[in-house]
Amino acid sequence: MTSDLGSGGSAPDFGLVAAGGRKGHDPAPDTAEAGNVPPVNPSVTALRRQFPDGVLRNRVCAGDQDVVHIDSGRVAEILRWLHETPDQHYDHLADVTAVDHGGGRPIEVVYQLWSIPQRSALRVKCELPLDALEIESVTGIWQGANWLEREVYDLFGVHFRGHPDLRRILMPENYAEGHPLRKDFPLRGRFSRAEQTRRALTQDPEDYYMPGEIGERTPQVVASGADDGDEAKASGAGAGGEGEADVL
Amino acid sequence: MSSSTVEYAVRRNPEMGPHGKPVASPTEPFDAPEPELGSQTMLVNVGPQHPATHGVLRLVVELDGETVVSVVPRLGYLHSSFEKLGEYRTWNQIVTLTDRMDYLAPLIYNCAYVMAVEKLMGIEVTERCKVARVICMEMDRIFSHLLWLGTWSIDVGAFTPFLYAFQQREKVYTLHEALTGARITTSSTRIGGMMADLPEGWTKGVREFADNLPATLDEIDGLLTCNAIHVGRTQGIGAISAEEAVNHGLTGANLRASGVPYDVRKDRPYYDYGSYDFEVPIGCHGDCYDRYLVRMEEMRQSVRILHQALDRLPDGPMDVEDPRISLPSKTDCMSDMESMIHHFKLITEGIPAPAEDCWFSVEGSKGELGMYVVGDGGPKPVRWRIRPPSFVNLSAIPKLSEGHLMADLIMINASLDIVLGEIDR
Amino acid sequence: MGVANPGLPGAGTPAFLTTRLDFVVNWARRNSLWPMPFGTACCAIEMMASAASNFDLARFGMERMSFSPRQADVLICAGRVPYKLAPVLRRIWDQMMQPKWCISMGACASSGGVFDVYSMVQGIDTIVPVDVYIPGCPPRPEGLIYGLMMVQEKIRGESLADHAALRAEDPLGAGRPRAGDEEVADLTGPFGNSTDQNRVSGLVETGAIGRPEDRLP
Ligand code: SF4
Repeated sequence: MTSDLGSGGSAPDFGLVAAGGRKGHDPAPDTAEAGNVPPVNPSVTALRRQFPDGVLRNRVCAGDQDVVHIDSGRVAEILRWLHETPDQHYDHLADVTAVDHGGGRPIEVVYQLWSIPQRSALRVKCELPLDALEIESVTGIWQGANWLEREVYDLFGVHFRGHPDLRRILMPENYAEGHPLRKDFPLRGRFSRAEQTRRALTQDPEDYYMPGEIGERTPQVVASGADDGDEAKASGAGAGGEGEADVL
Repeated sequence: MSSSTVEYAVRRNPEMGPHGKPVASPTEPFDAPEPELGSQTMLVNVGPQHPATHGVLRLVVELDGETVVSVVPRLGYLHSSFEKLGEYRTWNQIVTLTDRMDYLAPLIYNCAYVMAVEKLMGIEVTERCKVARVICMEMDRIFSHLLWLGTWSIDVGAFTPFLYAFQQREKVYTLHEALTGARITTSSTRIGGMMADLPEGWTKGVREFADNLPATLDEIDGLLTCNAIHVGRTQGIGAISAEEAVNHGLTGANLRASGVPYDVRKDRPYYDYGSYDFEVPIGCHGDCYDRYLVRMEEMRQSVRILHQALDRLPDGPMDVEDPRISLPSKTDCMSDMESMIHHFKLITEGIPAPAEDCWFSVEGSKGELGMYVVGDGGPKPVRWRIRPPSFVNLSAIPKLSEGHLMADLIMINASLDIVLGEIDR
Repeated sequence: MGVANPGLPGAGTPAFLTTRLDFVVNWARRNSLWPMPFGTACCAIEMMASAASNFDLARFGMERMSFSPRQADVLICAGRVPYKLAPVLRRIWDQMMQPKWCISMGACASSGGVFDVYSMVQGIDTIVPVDVYIPGCPPRPEGLIYGLMMVQEKIRGESLADHAALRAEDPLGAGRPRAGDEEVADLTGPFGNSTDQNRVSGLVETGAIGRPEDRLP
């Protein structure tokens, strides 16, 4: 029995008045000709001047928010310029995230920048096709990007080249169902509840000490916190390797 | 700069140099060269079920003797997939999810979320609603800081401030309950307004709370601020410089303790915050003690904002008067066909949002709380993303705790003021 | 067991001694329950509020929150339990000494609550046996106190005679789900508005796979 519940087809007909009917499968309507909308933020103009072929297009969203689409191959270069040029000085990386629009369209990686001295905001986006989800890491520019990129990797499967420690962060290390925030991932996961429960309990609460993860030193003893007692000590060392092997 | 430093008459620990670097640490009895023992480090697991991790955080700590060599935080023990769930809910239904994310300051989350959606849809809320939301947000800033104060003092070894703080929190619980019917999971905002108008006498209750709070703060101040144990355990611990703090993405009190006066309320004012008279406290050492002082002062400043907001709360409608956005009143629904149809359409179809994206951030109790919403023209989001302030703040803990003692790690963790519901989402 | 004591009605029967003993033992047990607060999310905040001065759990002999499972009698699971946390919960339960009881506080712990999603355990009764469920999101402190009183009520009815049956634990069951596959499927079926959870925005084709069992009401 196949279910078509996941597709938009079986949804009740929303007679949307304000949205002007169904927008269907159109890509997000960007301004076709670049520069059509005058940007609010002067950085956009400067960016276009500096990287005429790195900046693909820009638009203004939600009234006054500047969005710049850039070439995903040059993300580190362009963001470093924005960070280091004195009159740009985007020193606060507020957020790194991704958006999957579904239907096989490319995944957007979104950077939210804020300049504390200039008090200006900029949103930078890169599009990555589903079969080449790889982009350069910006941890070298902002250390705060470390966990944010790990989260995007965990939930969307985007690989960040040059990231110091790209592992799953929220889901278990050996999670086998995929990357949950992709649009083709069902809300309840791919496995049945019984299977998920069984798998969950086969995880060892202390199987994630990866000796390699903490420098090159080999730990001597595995001592225990509040949740595990003596028997944990005994099994801790042996179970150490399990987590690494299964990383998706 | 729009902010000024608040001076505290507290002497720094004389053993600490500038930036809180220990000059002569009292925990180091002698300064002999370490003998070559070929010693190895030890791993200690703290959490995920541990009272001092403030939730289900797990820290894998590598120790050399008692000194922290490295800390590896493990997250995800409370991953409830809010962002995925949001894609299956209409814009208004998501409000109920937001307060379950940060249960320490639910109203700030309610407000931040609807503010982002309203910006996306281009809705301007009424004056009364703006001021009411300011009251809600400031009240919950205090609410959250009070819990932090309680758990912080437990971590430092004092139980009394916890009880004092909870006395005041109970008053906010009562106010929440009067406003929304729930003590924690408030869900009080709606797109274009609030769930209901403020109940009668509510503002009087808020004012009473604002009047009484400073006395409690003074009391706790007297117990902690100059307390030798407290000072000794927090001054010079977990210090971070201003540049590093910015580079790590710290926000909120953690950033301001390092001397960077970045406060979204001042730098990107929303809801006329620019016209309220308040100051942004900043620290100058960036250590745990300064984070404590900054939060204490923030509560007093919030009390000031509360008084001003209560004074200027205008009369008039709470919700925008647009039948496509706000629900009609119950009486109208029952007596008027038009309203009934609007009600039905709004509930079953939801409010469509344009195919755009919007980023909106407010000053949450833990730091800059950003909401990023992407619409596709339909009544549900394509993506609803929360910039979790404590997630980013916590990512600095390996840096903050390097070289400190194991016991200090607990204080550093407490000083960051994290909430796991929002870190793991 | 047959102690001759002709002075009292019923004396001399084996039941006499055990019921008196039961009474004393149960009285002691129920008035000094030491809770193991397994608090994860919002419900834990209400648990903290119950312990603070306004509601004062100490009145019930519970002022000592036992953060070590080995010295605890009743596990209060307050808040959401994702699958990643499930083995931790199970281990804590396994580490607690008999006699032990378990309270599931809040909608999330009891049934998954609003989170019928990929990462959440749909009711901790699939993992550990539960004695009392407290509904609410979150339950008020009064609710928690009522739940604890129900545990006390349950203890009052216990008898040392069936101790072995009540307290039997399968050593092989440690670290395993409490419920079998079918029971898990039964307990975690979608309900309420989770039946239309596979309906996305309606405007975008996502290609998400709906599972047939998700359609069951
Ligand atoms: S039942 Fe409600 S209050 Fe309790 S943990 Fe779940 S969402 Fe939070």
